[in-house]
Amino acid sequence: MDISYWGLFFSMLLLLFPLAIFHQLKLQLTRQLFTAFGRMIAQLALIGLWLQFLFQKDNAWLTLLWVLIMLSNAVITLRGRIKFQRRILAPIFFMALGVASLIVLPWLLFVVIRPRPFLAATIVIPIYGMVLGNTMNSCALAMERFEGKLSDNWKAYFTRITLGASHWEAALPAFQQAMHISLLPRLLSIASMGVVSLPGMMSGQILGGASAVVAIKYQMMIMAAIFTSVTIADYLAIRLYLKRRFDQYYLPKGEPRKKP
Amino acid sequence: MKQSEEIPEYPQRDLLRIRIKRLFYEDLELVSDIDLKVSSGEKILLTGSTGSGKSSLLNTLNLMNQNYEGEVLFQGKPVTEYIPQVLRSQIVMVMQEPWLGEGSVSEVLDEALAFCTNKKRLDQDQNQRIHQLFKAFELPADYLQKKADQLSGGEKQRVALIRAMLLQPQVLLLDEVSSALDQTTSGIISDFIFESCGSTVIAISHDPLWQSRWQRRWRIQDGKIHDNGGH
Repeated sequence: MDISYWGLFFSMLLLLFPLAIFHQLKLQLTRQLFTAFGRMIAQLALIGLWLQFLFQKDNAWLTLLWVLIMLSNAVITLRGRIKFQRRILAPIFFMALGVASLIVLPWLLFVVIRPRPFLAATIVIPIYGMVLGNTMNSCALAMERFEGKLSDNWKAYFTRITLGASHWEAALPAFQQAMHISLLPRLLSIASMGVVSLPGMMSGQILGGASAVVAIKYQMMIMAAIFTSVTIADYLAIRLYLKRRFDQYYLPKGEPRKKP
Repeated sequence: MKQSEEIPEYPQRDLLRIRIKRLFYEDLELVSDIDLKVSSGEKILLTGSTGSGKSSLLNTLNLMNQNYEGEVLFQGKPVTEYIPQVLRSQIVMVMQEPWLGEGSVSEVLDEALAFCTNKKRLDQDQNQRIHQLFKAFELPADYLQKKADQLSGGEKQRVALIRAMLLQPQVLLLDEVSSALDQTTSGIISDFIFESCGSTVIAISHDPLWQSRWQRRWRIQDGKIHDNGGH
């Protein structure tokens, strides 16, 4: 069922409640609220128009081009979010997100959904958006955790390499912890799905008129796709980073030297 | 540069050859004109004032520092031509404040033995050797089950040395290992090094208990290294 523009305007009136609470608590969030919602409305309106254009054209090349633009944007956003070793990160993220996408997206399109045409913009773009958005966030978290675990405990790393470990063996505990921190909350959220929370995609499809069974099937598919993409991208990003983080003698690049 | 995996058989003499024209810390030149030979089994004390370059020199031997002009040869071959983990499993370093991790002592030892290079080189069953080393370092066998982070400083240092000796290194590098230890522990470690340890030992130490026992001394002073027992 569609919402009228007046209806949409009335939905925004709900924000009077948070504004009243901000006022009473003298929270300095009013300006941020207007900025955030203003930006959201402008961005979504623009992207809505653009998507409508893409869906109407439904041209495979245009869809592919948009997929590439989405991937590039994700890489740029990721690189901006990470505050360390930024010089080497762009190609790493491009490779990690690219390979994860190349595995998951064709599988969904050619094996699972099999739309006609195969690169139907109405299928490819929303699905890729969900997969890529989740993968990007998780990749940033995993990389930050990995670098954090390494930097918090260089002594452990150095001890291991002075006992004959390779850089891979010496950094493996940090790698394992980063993957664990990135993946465990996702698994917990997957486990609680349907009982504690109704996922956004499923709710959206039901609201859009799809049957609950179709919505559930799509939801299951997208969760498997997101989890696979996230795991592959986290793994690849950290592995590639590990390779470039250390020199040929397994010493970290750009770290303060040890005492003389 | 081609790196090789095998440690070749080599005569006992010239186990290590250090020919360093200039040794740096960042851009600062610390020591120049180093030309030293080390034979198998030698016990060498390295001294010098703070910041003189002792640790930097020690770190050149196991590829932890490449900030120098010159070359370091191990068994006749430049250290830079070895695969790092192969070299470091033969030239093992123990530091002043050893890191052992949070697991049990047994897990600490197993981790080092499980590194691929060590696994390939050493026997699968190291239990007997672990018990011999525990005896030599006067630690009770039930300490294997103790959590490493609950050990005292002296016990940690002894476990770190046991871990290093389990790898049966040809060269043991000690960086101030006894500086924070009580006399008894320092004595136990020194007895092991000078009476039971077959490896070549190069140690930075200011421990008065150890001073009289070294066969050879290297002293860094005014940017030069003085060797009292060279060949």
